[in-house]
Amino acid sequence: MTDMTERVVECRDVARTYAGDAVPVHALRGVDFELLSGEWVSLAGPSGSGKSTLLHLIGGLDQPNTGSVIVDGIEVTQLSEADLSDLRLRKIGFVFQAYNLIPVLSALENVEFIMQLQGVATTERRERALAALDSLGLAELAGRRPGEMSGGQQQRVAIARAIVTNPVLLLADEPSANLDTATTKELLDLLQTLNRERGVTILTATHDPMVMGYTTRQVHLRDGSVVASEGA
Amino acid sequence: MPLGLLIQLSWRNIWRHGRRNAILLSAIAVAVAGVVLLNTLLRGMQAEMQNTVIDSLNGHVKVLKPGYRADPGIQRGFEIAQGWDAALPAEAIAGWAARVRVPAVIMSERETRGIQLVGIDPAHEDISFLGRVSFTGEALSGPEDRRVIIGGELAEQLETAVGRRLVLVTQGADGRNREAGYRIAGIFEAEAGGLEKAFVFTGADTLQDMLDTLVVTEVSIRLADDVFETSIIDRLLGVFSGLDVLSWKELEPQAASMVAFADNAIFIYFLVIMGALVFGLVNTLVTAVMERVRELGMLRALGMRPRSVVAQVVMESSLIMFVGVAVGVVIAAGAFSLMADGIDLSAFNESLATFGMRPTFVPVLRVDDVILVVAMSLLLGIVASFYPARRAVQQKPLDALRR
Repeated sequence: MTDMTERVVECRDVARTYAGDAVPVHALRGVDFELLSGEWVSLAGPSGSGKSTLLHLIGGLDQPNTGSVIVDGIEVTQLSEADLSDLRLRKIGFVFQAYNLIPVLSALENVEFIMQLQGVATTERRERALAALDSLGLAELAGRRPGEMSGGQQQRVAIARAIVTNPVLLLADEPSANLDTATTKELLDLLQTLNRERGVTILTATHDPMVMGYTTRQVHLRDGSVVASEGA
Repeated sequence: MPLGLLIQLSWRNIWRHGRRNAILLSAIAVAVAGVVLLNTLLRGMQAEMQNTVIDSLNGHVKVLKPGYRADPGIQRGFEIAQGWDAALPAEAIAGWAARVRVPAVIMSERETRGIQLVGIDPAHEDISFLGRVSFTGEALSGPEDRRVIIGGELAEQLETAVGRRLVLVTQGADGRNREAGYRIAGIFEAEAGGLEKAFVFTGADTLQDMLDTLVVTEVSIRLADDVFETSIIDRLLGVFSGLDVLSWKELEPQAASMVAFADNAIFIYFLVIMGALVFGLVNTLVTAVMERVRELGMLRALGMRPRSVVAQVVMESSLIMFVGVAVGVVIAAGAFSLMADGIDLSAFNESLATFGMRPTFVPVLRVDDVILVVAMSLLLGIVASFYPARRAVQQKPLDALRR
């Protein structure tokens, strides 16, 4: 586990502008942001505030127009497409709003997938994937494909897939958006356990107050700028 | 990306759209089977044309005196030494025949025709069509036989029959006309009708006597295999110094060009049929890729490299192509086995004779042709799939995820 004071993410003066139909859309305007190891921070704000944009920039899915994004000591803005793929593969776990499991693979195979890309040996891969599913209460669903599982189950498989490789950072974009309240609570309890007991650093983009209630720190964005930071 | 994962993902993705891919696979199989079968027909036609040319007294290689082809006559004859063939490797030679061949006029009681009068040693003529013809009456007994054999169609034109006499007029070695009467020993029926009208055969010694000469006008050599052609021509040039040594391709350039065309036609048919199929393949793959843009974007978001996504799409099309080609080859092999003994085209005998072909057409399945079709199909499939694969990675993962 990394030191609690170690910066996992460091954003400096990050700006991202999209070419709109008529006028440019300034999604982020000179944002400074830090995420320390072991934190669970929520990026909060209304739609269009820039929270998802910031999450995507940190995850290497998008590039800023100006500014610097450093993840685990690596300047993300300088990386090629292939190197960004490697960064996401080795250091970042993703949990998407729409689960985004691979439909032709079973739950177990989905969890194994990233380890396969990493070149982990078959036996070790299988053991770790089963352990991850078991820890999330999904051992019995290992052989099921995504289409045969509920939304909550799919999201838990997505989390298992995201954490099984012990990433430096877990990014969750609106993880509760498609879940009912009870399932959302189960999910958040699970993330909290991962954060507290295994020290997983988590960054979520959300406008769900229930999610914000679980996080150790909330960073509020409005119109592409950080307006407040609350919590530890 | 591990190959096992690549194959696993591709294989399962194929089954996501089982019906669509089954239709595509069927189209590939039918196209491949069609091309392979078409090749067997072309090869059969090619072999038929070549055999007919070789059978028609040409052999694979023929020795002639320079100028004989432009102005044939006994004046352009040459002597052959006893045991001349000892210089040739026995395993390369199926047989040879020395002949005396001159233009002549043949007359019956009712009709007169221009023909090629050929003096032969019947024992050597198993290398030509004469070795396979059927006779009414008798064949010639030897080079000293003083009778003639003629073709069935010529017999009809001359309104004559076995046992009747014919008069032959030709030019002797001294340039004077020679005329002699010959009794018909037999009437032969050749598979290609043109041969029946063109040639009249008698014993070689008999014809030499009539022409007052000891020379022959041609030595025809049939090879055990086409591959010996060049080496045998080289040896013959040493044996028959100052004479022309010509391959069947030089003797019959029109037929040779048709045989050569068959080699190119195989590629033309392949490109036309498989080219049309590739449009269907690309269209299906583009549709499949566009349907999965979000999924492919997600794979890249999780850390799959762009080249791995390209490899996955290419692998999918390659698997479909591979199975389709394999099924196509099996279908072609099955269909070929049904017609391997030959296709009866006797209803078109007259037309076929024009092209020097026999009424029973035997297709030829060549393993190298099948390998070529298989390799080119797979290559074409892989190359064609790069376009949809490239489209799959043109979008950034984030844009793909937002769709």
